[in-house]
Formats: sequence, structure tokens, C-alpha cells
Amino acid sequence: MITIKKLSKIFRTEEVETNALSEISLTINEGDFVSIMGPSGSGKSTLLNIIGLLDSASGGSYELLGQEMIGLKEKLKSKARKENIGFIFQNFNLIDELSVYDNIELPLIYNNVPSSERKKKIEHIAAVLGISHRLKHFPQQLSGGQQQRVAVARALINDPKIILADEPTGNLDSKNGNEVMELLTDLHAAGSTILMVTHSDYDASFSQKIILMKDGVILSEKLNQRNVDVLVTSKN
Amino acid sequence: MLKNWINVFTYHIKNNKLFTVLNVLGLSIGIAGLIFAILYWNDEQSYDQWNPNKDNVFLVANQMDPTTYWASSSAPIGSAIKNTSPEVESFCYLNGNYDNEIIHYNNKKVQSDKIVVAQKNFFEYFPYSFIEGNIKNALPDVNSISISQDLSQQLFGSESAFGKKVILQNQVLIVRGVYKLDKKSVFNPSCVVNFMDTRVKNSIQQWGNFQFILLLKLKKSTDSEIVTKNLAKVYYENMMMPRAKAQGMSPQEFIKKFGEVKPHLEPLSIVRLHTKTGGLIESNGNYQLLLIFAGLSILVLILSIVNYVNSATANAVKRAKEVGVRQIVGASKIEIIQQFIFETAVISLFSILISLVIVELSLPYYNVFLEKTLVLQSSQFYLQLFVIFIIMIIAAGIFPAVYVSNFDVLKVLRGNFARSKNGIWLRNGMLIFQFAVAAFFIIGSYIVYQQINYMNSKDVGFNGNQILNISYRNIYGEKISNEDRMRKYNGIKNELLRIKGVKQVSGGGFVLGNGAKSVISYHHKDINIDGNNIPVDFGLLEMMKIKIVKGRYLSPDYSQDTISSMLINETALKLLNEKDPIGKKINWDGKEAIIVGVVKDFNIGNPGEAIPPVTIFHFKSVPWFTSLLNNIYVTADPKTMPQTIADIENLWTKKVDSDYPFLYDFVDKEYKKSYSSYVKQKNLFSLLNIIVITIALFGLFALASYSIERRMKEIAIRKTLGAETNVLLIELCKQYIFFCIIGFLIALFPVYYLLNKWLENFAYRITISMFPFLIGFTALLSLTLLVVLSRAYQATKVDVLKYLKYE
Repeated sequence: MITIKKLSKIFRTEEVETNALSEISLTINEGDFVSIMGPSGSGKSTLLNIIGLLDSASGGSYELLGQEMIGLKEKLKSKARKENIGFIFQNFNLIDELSVYDNIELPLIYNNVPSSERKKKIEHIAAVLGISHRLKHFPQQLSGGQQQRVAVARALINDPKIILADEPTGNLDSKNGNEVMELLTDLHAAGSTILMVTHSDYDASFSQKIILMKDGVILSEKLNQRNVDVLVTSKN
Repeated sequence: MLKNWINVFTYHIKNNKLFTVLNVLGLSIGIAGLIFAILYWNDEQSYDQWNPNKDNVFLVANQMDPTTYWASSSAPIGSAIKNTSPEVESFCYLNGNYDNEIIHYNNKKVQSDKIVVAQKNFFEYFPYSFIEGNIKNALPDVNSISISQDLSQQLFGSESAFGKKVILQNQVLIVRGVYKLDKKSVFNPSCVVNFMDTRVKNSIQQWGNFQFILLLKLKKSTDSEIVTKNLAKVYYENMMMPRAKAQGMSPQEFIKKFGEVKPHLEPLSIVRLHTKTGGLIESNGNYQLLLIFAGLSILVLILSIVNYVNSATANAVKRAKEVGVRQIVGASKIEIIQQFIFETAVISLFSILISLVIVELSLPYYNVFLEKTLVLQSSQFYLQLFVIFIIMIIAAGIFPAVYVSNFDVLKVLRGNFARSKNGIWLRNGMLIFQFAVAAFFIIGSYIVYQQINYMNSKDVGFNGNQILNISYRNIYGEKISNEDRMRKYNGIKNELLRIKGVKQVSGGGFVLGNGAKSVISYHHKDINIDGNNIPVDFGLLEMMKIKIVKGRYLSPDYSQDTISSMLINETALKLLNEKDPIGKKINWDGKEAIIVGVVKDFNIGNPGEAIPPVTIFHFKSVPWFTSLLNNIYVTADPKTMPQTIADIENLWTKKVDSDYPFLYDFVDKEYKKSYSSYVKQKNLFSLLNIIVITIALFGLFALASYSIERRMKEIAIRKTLGAETNVLLIELCKQYIFFCIIGFLIALFPVYYLLNKWLENFAYRITISMFPFLIGFTALLSLTLLVVLSRAYQATKVDVLKYLKYE
């Protein structure tokens, strides 16, 4: 699904040149649940942003669903993003001025889904995530866990091919954090492809594969045993 | 999508009520100003534009000296030019004043104040649509009259007017047509009579008597240059050559010494706003006021748009997260731009609606101000309104929208966007622009105020306090002689003197403030003086406290004072260049006049005009002056003034003039009217000044609030490190002071240049000093400090922890 070859990213300021990513290669298959770990400044977020088409790379190749993304025009990137990628953020990034319903609806609007269908979809996903009774509320009126569920609902509403999660539990207490991780595990079990950046070993243990990064390079890739079956089946 | 936009939009309106209201209000005031200017503009531009002849009917404007253009021509030139110039299709003479007369029908009397005396082809020049009769037969002979629909209504009610007989000036006239007076023109007659033929015939030999307005209709509008040349030739051959011969000079010498008449042609389409003459029958459009007003209102609108853009972009920083999220979930740039333009469109629409309310409510005052009857309709106006709407969306909408859509999503979502310096130079640039406009208005309105004050406080050379000026219609006609007029006047004077409370009565042939009614040039030792004639009765100058500098007043004690005695003013004396003018003989219009006194200069025109040379005679000295006797001045005991006025009115309507209403005014009040248009300009400027300053201050307030909010973390850190409040205040204020100074400097040159241009209207004027600039700078700076300091002070009082913990 995602094939990255020799991807590099260089930040330049007037005096310093920093290699945020130096020639990283990585493959993520459909149905994978991959965690990226590493200390601050290791380049994990940069990698996630490039995969999420929010940032551009300085060199190398990134294929999403067989299509080369490096050097693609902004408009096509935007199209590829809205059709294929769902985002979950540490700080939820919900629009405070819109109700929960309106927040979840946004991706559908921008994908030109007819309004009757939108309503059905939102109600369905709200039921799945247990936030049906919160649809009319505004984000500020919800607990952190509930806000993150709304963010997850928004990420999923469009049936994206891959979900990118940037420290999804970072702003949550352990109880709410657990709930979110269980949610992601359930999604994975249902066949979703997930790429997650995290600091927490505990969270990473939910995934099949853990990639450890430092100073812009991948130090190690480790398979989590208990998920190995899924990995095998998804390769078929 | 629309619903989603509206949700966000209403949320922001609810949470930023103050800023939204101020923004909308600022814009709507700006638009209201422009609407006012547009209404005025449309009205002025509509004069004669309906007329199919507007481009091939021309006014003959005669240039008498480098700066003076007369709208009138002499009687013989019309037929002369028609005969010598085949390009001329026809000519039409008209009277240069409306006649104000009573029209009798059976026992009914209707006073009509806009009677035009013309020739029979008047309606071919001004083809008003006819309800009864037709254009061709509107004025076939001297006994014909064509009347407007309104007048027809007043005279005949719902009956047909055609063929009815009315009496005007003791002549029986037959109504030949009724026309609709629904379009604006330099001639808006309530009725038109064909008396001009006789008048032209009576003065057909007088080449030098410029008394009628002459319009020419050309076959082709492009021929105007040829016709102009021919006109000059005709004047040269028929006027200059014989006159030069009579003086025993060559024509060249004569022209060099006395000047010549230079005819010009002005097409009807431009007469209203651009004529160089003093105007035809309706007063000229005030093109300068129109330009000032249009310019200022556009400036105000730009200011309010800049304000909107400024606060919209500043506010956009707060909405960065929303925009970022929208882009992540799939919004394209275009969709973001559309959303923000949509918001501007809604705001603009609101503002336009509110501005229409403002305009509708204040239109009556505006109409009084302009002396017009403007209304808020016409498809042209709504089309223009739509164009304004589109321009506002483009000017106010696109920039913030594009600015917002270019936010870097990554920075936004990392949360360190709020302090980014994106677009800050542009906001500061706009702030400087606002400062410049505000400085322009503060300084400008102060200079205008100074000039008006200067005129107000000027010693006008007379005292019109408690002096009544009664409008006297006098008596005219073929059989009435100058002696008859004098006799009638003396009768009235004696009756008036008998009324209790009346102290002095004296007649005059002028109204202070309006200038002299006639000008006669005389020569003294090769010096040409264009003397403004002031005909007086004994005692009038004393009554008005016009002082004598040399010699004496006119007095009944000297018999020559009703024969040859003449007074001049100081200006005339200066021109004469005589050390001892008393007793000097002057050849004045073919008669010998002797100067017996010099009066101190007094204003007969408005106080901004230069005082012209003045010639004063008693009515009896120049017999035809009695026809100018249209004002009777009366002083009365101030204690019994109301009763005295009532008694005079009683006498007037019973014995003097039973047909026409009794009209009077106090001389000082009347004089103030002569420069009321400048007072109005001052008031306009002051009003705009207040509006501009309000809008600019609001803009400053909004911008200062946003930028201080952006710096809250910095302030908090400085405070924890021990910065004192006043150090912080200086830190926060200094950039605004800097912008304020730059804005002020930018305004300096335009304000100096434009106000100097405006002051050129006045011969008697102030020179621009440092003072208005000092005032302007101080006012601008203190207002700036007031706004910024109040915001900054609040900022320094906040809870430090809140901002340090944040993020």
C-alpha cells in the first residue's frame, strides 16, 4: 500500500542544515498496524506528515497505492489526501466553532457526498463509537476521550485506506487512552490500515510492527508476536 | 456546504459581537457616504443628458477678459451669425433670469416664479414632452404661452388648458401647449412666453449690449470651431472696427487698450457642470463640491474597507486551526477562498442594507444641505449599488481569503502559528494608510475651519444689524418713466416713516452679499476701471455704517448731489492712483461726474471675494438707476420690532403690492447666506472628519487588540523576568507611535497641496501655517496613545500563569 524508498527531508535555515530524514525505506501493507517510536527530534512526526501529504520530501520516492506522490501538484495531493487518508491528532484538532455533527460531516462535504447519505453515515459511525448522544454538542463541552472519539469518527467517516495517528493518547489520561487504543485495535481487526506515532511502549504494544527511529534513520523494525497472524494473512 | 459555512459564520458573529458590529457599521458608514456622493453625482450628471440636442445646441459664452466669461450676448449677433455661417441651423434668444409674475385666469391668480421669456423655437431646443398641443405650435406668436403640467393644474385644475386665455403683465395670452417638466435641464420653466422677438428687435443695433442668452443649434456638432471663428469675425467687423474708428485708432491699438470679445461655444451637455460663465438661468452645478465630495467619500470607503481587511486578516489568525483542519479533511484552496469570500459577501450585504437605512433616514437633511430633492430610486442607482457590492467583495474579500488559504497547515496544527509574522507588513502598511487619512482629515478640516472663521470675523465694512431689507418689485412698463418710479418710491418711503417704531427709510439698488447688479467701466488718465454700480438714496450709507475716508456723504443739502456727485471706494481710489480725488471730474458713461467722497471698502460680494472698485450715485443722478431700485432698507426700534414688521406688512399688502407676498430679511442674516455654501463645505468636512476618525480609531483598536494578544506570551515572560508596567507599556506602544508619525508625514504634502487649491477660491484667505499641522499631529498622537495605552494597560494586568502554562 505504501512503499517508501530512500526518502529524505532536509530542513534548511540560513546557517544550519538538518537532516530530519535521511534515506529512509519502508513498506506498509494493507491491513498493517504499524507504530513509529523514537525520541523527540528523531523525525517520526516528519515522516508521518510526509506520508499524510501534509509535508513534502527533499528526495527519494513515496508511492501511495501505486502512485508516486513526490513532486505531485498540490491539487492532486489534496485529492489523494481526502480520498485515502484519515488523520487523528494528539490535540484532536476539532473545529471549536462547529458542533460534533458538523465536525464529523466536514470530510463528506469536501468529498461531495449527498446530504441524505451524509446523515446516515454520521449516525452510523456515531453509534459505532458511542457518541450518538453528543452530536449536537460543541467540542469544548466534551471530555478529552470523547473529543478523541469524535476525531476518530471524523477520520473514519470517509472510509479512508489508511489512518494516520499522531500520538492519539498524548493528551488523554490512561483510562481514556486505553479506550482509544482499544478502538484502534478494533478498527485494525476489522481490516483498517493504521500508522501511529507514539512515545508510549504500552500503546505501541497494540500494534503488529514497531519501527524505532533516531536522528532521521530507522534503527530497528520489530514484529509483535501476537499480531503475526494478521500480518501473514494480510500479505495474501 | 453552505450550511456549514453559515454555522461557523454565525458562531463567530456571536462570539465577536463588538467587532462584528463595529466592522459592519464602519463599512455601512463608508458605503452610505458613497451612496450620498453617487446620488449627488447622478443628479448633477443628469442635467440635459436626456436632450437629443445636447451635443449640437451650443451656448455662446463671451470671454470679456482673461478670467471673465459672460453667458449673455448682444441682440444682433444671432441673425448675423445665421447669415454668415451656413453651419448654423437656427438660433434662440432667451432671457437670463426667470420672471416672477402673477398669471390671471378669470378671477384666479397664480404666482409663477419660473417664467422664461424666449423665442418661438424654444421647445425645439428643449423638447419636453407635450400633453396638450405640440412642440411645433407651442409658441407660434407673441400672444402664445406654453405652460407646465403643474401650472396647468394650478390654473385650470383638471380642465383642459389648451386654447384658454390668461393674462400676464397686462397681456392676454392663449395657452398653446402643456408640457411635462419631468427632466432636469439648465432651463426648468414653469411656463414659456414668446416676448423675446420684440426685445431683440428693440436692441438690434446695440452690438455692445450683452443682455440675452443666445443658444445656437448647429447642423453638425463638429462644426463648432468654424462657427466660433465666424462669431469672432462678426464681432470684430461689427463692433471692434466701428468703435476703433470712432476713437481714431487702428483696431489693433483699440483691442490692445480695451480688450476684445472672444466668443466660445459650450455644448449644452456640459453647461451645467463645466461652463466657464456664471451660469444660465439655473445656478451652475458646483463641480468642485461634487469632486470634493466624491473624492472624500471614496476615501472614506477605502478606509473602511482597509479597516475590514485589516481586522479580517488579524482575526484570521485565530481561525488558522479551523482552516488547517478543513484542509486536512480535504478542502482545496479554492474552497477555503470561497468560504471566506462568502463571509465577506454576507457582511457586505448587511452593510449595504444598513447603509441604505442610514441614507434613507438622513436624506431629508442631505437634501436641505444640497438644496435638492434626491430620492433613493432609479435603476441606474441600483445598478451602481450592485457594482459597489461586487467591488467591495473583490476589494475586501479576496485578499483575506487568499491570505487565509495560504496558511501552512503543518505550522497551524503544530500550534505555533498564532505568533507567526505572516502578512504583518501588510497590516502595518494599511494601518499607516489609516493614520495618513486620519491626519489628512484632521488637518484639512482644521484649515477649512480657520478659513470660515476668518471670513466670519472679517470686518465687512458695514453693519447690517437690525436693518430690514424689504424686497420691492418696483414698477415697469412701456408707459412708466423714471420719474414715475421715483415718485412711487418717495410715496412708499413717507408711508413707512409714519409707522410707529420706524426710524429711517432709504432705498437701494443692491443686496449686500450678492454683488452689484451692473458694472460700468470708466476711464481716467488712460486707466480703465470696471466700477460696480451702487445706486443709493440719501442716508443709506450712514444707515449701514459704511464709513467715509475722504470727503463727505451724499446729502440733500447739496443740489449737485442729485446731478453729478459720485462716491468711490478705497479700491477704486487705489486704481485711480490720485492723491487727492475729491473734486476730480470723471467721464462716466458719457456724463460728467465729480468725486465728492471716498468710502471705506465694504463687501458687496461674499467675504471671500476681493472687493471690487465701487461707484456710488444717487438714483436721481443717473435716471435709469431707478429701475434697479428693488430694495427698501428700514431701521426700526428693536424693542417694538415684531409689531413694526407687522405694521409694515399690513401697509405693504394693502397699499404697495397686493398681489405678491411681502418679503423681507435682516441685512446681516442675508449677508451670511452669501457664503453659506462654504459654511456647508466646512460642516461636511467636519462630519466626515468625525466619521473618518471614528473608523480609523476603531481599526487601531482592533489591530492593537489582536497584536497585543499575539504578544501575550512575550508580555508574560517579560513580566516574570521583572519588567515594570511602564516599561512594558512603552514597549507595546512604540511601534504605533512610529506608524502614527509615518502616516502623518505621508499626509503632509497632499493636505498642503489640496487645501491650498481649495483656498484659491478665496481672494480674502488665510495662509496655511504650522498651527493646523501641530494641532493635527497632537490630536492624532494623543488619540493613538489613548487607544493603544488602554489596550496595553489591560494586557499588563493579566494573569501571567495563564499564558505561560498555555500550549
